[in-house]
Amino acid sequence: MESVLTIGFNILSFSSIIVLVVLGLGVIASMMRIFNFAHGEFMLLGGYTTYLFYIWNMPIWLGILAAPFVVAFVGLILERTIIHRFYAAPIVAMLGTYAIGVMIRESVRGLIGGLYHQVPEPLVGFFVIGDISVSKWRAVVILVTILVVSGSYYLLKKTSFGLRIRAALENPELARVSGISTSQIYAATFSFGAGLAGLAGAMMVPLFTLYADMGVRFLIQGFLAVMLGGIGSFEGPVLGGAIIGVLTAGLPHLVNPVLADVLVFVIAIIAVKLKPAGLLSMRRE
Amino acid sequence: MTDDTGRKTEVTRRHLLQTAMWTSAAVATGAGSWVIPARWASAADPIKVGIATDLTGPIGFAGNANANIAKLVVDDINDNGGILGRPLEIHIEDTASNESVAVGNVRKLIQRDRVDVVLGGITSSMRNAIKDVIVGRGRTLYIYPQLYEGRECTPYIFCTGPTPAQQCDELIPWLIQNGGKRFALPSANYVWPHVLNEYARKVIENSGGEVVLEEYYPLDQVEYSATVNKIMNENVDVVFNTVIPPGVGPFIKQLYEAGFQKRGGRLSCVYYDENTVSLNAAHEWEGLASCLDYFRVLTREGDDPFSAKLAAAYDERYSGSVLFTAGSAATGMYRGLKLWEAAVNEAGNVDRDDVAAALDHAKISEGPGGPAEMVPGKWHCRMNMYIAVAKAGQYEVISRSPMVDPKEC
Repeated sequence: MESVLTIGFNILSFSSIIVLVVLGLGVIASMMRIFNFAHGEFMLLGGYTTYLFYIWNMPIWLGILAAPFVVAFVGLILERTIIHRFYAAPIVAMLGTYAIGVMIRESVRGLIGGLYHQVPEPLVGFFVIGDISVSKWRAVVILVTILVVSGSYYLLKKTSFGLRIRAALENPELARVSGISTSQIYAATFSFGAGLAGLAGAMMVPLFTLYADMGVRFLIQGFLAVMLGGIGSFEGPVLGGAIIGVLTAGLPHLVNPVLADVLVFVIAIIAVKLKPAGLLSMRRE
Repeated sequence: MTDDTGRKTEVTRRHLLQTAMWTSAAVATGAGSWVIPARWASAADPIKVGIATDLTGPIGFAGNANANIAKLVVDDINDNGGILGRPLEIHIEDTASNESVAVGNVRKLIQRDRVDVVLGGITSSMRNAIKDVIVGRGRTLYIYPQLYEGRECTPYIFCTGPTPAQQCDELIPWLIQNGGKRFALPSANYVWPHVLNEYARKVIENSGGEVVLEEYYPLDQVEYSATVNKIMNENVDVVFNTVIPPGVGPFIKQLYEAGFQKRGGRLSCVYYDENTVSLNAAHEWEGLASCLDYFRVLTREGDDPFSAKLAAAYDERYSGSVLFTAGSAATGMYRGLKLWEAAVNEAGNVDRDDVAAALDHAKISEGPGGPAEMVPGKWHCRMNMYIAVAKAGQYEVISRSPMVDPKEC
């Protein structure tokens, strides 16, 4: 019983991390129809910001709070200078964002000396409840994920800002005629997605150590999740992220870990084959 | 950044300038080639030393330490008159943590620069990729400096890093005494852990222990809750880890959070050196046991004056830069260069067969961690081995074994 609870908690916490990663990727992919290949490096920047606070002897929680804003700002600048030129050509956007990602990754690698650095959690240690031990920081990650997902849902679905974003997405011309500045909306959306990536990076860096390639693996899993869940809705990528997280953390309990790693992809690809538009597609073609 | 004491330091302007200088030099020369002739190079026909190491890419921190110590040793030899009255000229090529790039660059050392010896390569896959270019078609001597899984018994390839026997024979009985009998071998899925575990399993079983878990993971896996859960449920006493970064940091953290150390479990990892202290908070890897040919702490106790002198010279020249450690092959690089120097002096020329014949029984009386000598006919070397245990984020040497046999070939 204790073991089942521990396993359940660990799977839940890892899924939360994947959901947090996928959220920003999904928002940009769904709302703007471009795949942001620099998403993993935005996460890395979030982690790096937190690490800087740590080595400058400032409170780490402050770094985690600052990271989404720092990365959102970086995202805003990149959108205004480079990325807005790519909207007409999604394939070029993939290559362009990939190039930006490589530049960020290699710069950070130089700055951290190519090494792996731990960043302590703001809440160190674990609770012991009965016979199971629960990592405090993982519990925080689960809570933050729930808050951020519901907050983003509220922002995009219930506020007038969200309405304008959806309008700009669905019919840019009509939106512009109605007095909505679509270019500002796109900049804000991209920046918001980047900020979510920064938050994900900052939340996970105490769990997974800071290293230049930290974004790469999560980016691939994030894409898989977006494909699985379906582009075009808010709920799709979140559901996809949760499923990929459960599979990634859960399968190694059942089968050999190297096989599990491959199996996650196989299962997701079969699912995408069966439902090409994703599990929850709301695309209106 | 952290230095070897785990103390936080900041990226200094000097460090930044140094890095910028290296980077711009790399961009300027195009393919990552450096030639550093001796200051008196015009005096005589130089002996050419080729260094092929991972200056860039994920293990760049280790490759740069290798290049640094090679430059230090070669300068020192040149300042003392070179070898056989000839200066040494060092040719450095980047293997870039990428085998296909490496093969091309190493070919340049052999075909364009016609070096007399090549030292380098860090991972086993790198050694396997470049060895034929060097000793086969290249007909050149190759010295491989990294701790590795053993079984490299090719003529003209000399290995100067520790082998599984050197790392396990003393450590595993110690782990059984100071941890317990039930071992878990969580491992990254590549050649070194597979072959090392085969040897470790034999030693564990011969010493009265048992292996209750042996598992391999994708190299970039960072989530280890399933593994940790099995380790806790199987009542494992000793975790003999060969998971590598980036996975090892999260793995050790999750193990700590599951209460493994709290219930008396012992951690062990044989590549852990001063570069890995920043991977986890001190309380998370408390009690971790490593077994290597050199630990920085040897230089502080005043019991190894030569190691202290070498570390001081290295730090003076490369302060704030990459660390001189055993796990990154830098100690093996020192040993390899000095053994080769002794061999060339004995051979009286740089002919491959003559030098190889002399290198076969070469000895050095001092080096990082102590003396070293090649075991004749075995292409591997005897060296001192140390078991160190982590206490509050620092290593403490708790056992020394003089001149341990590599037991290879």
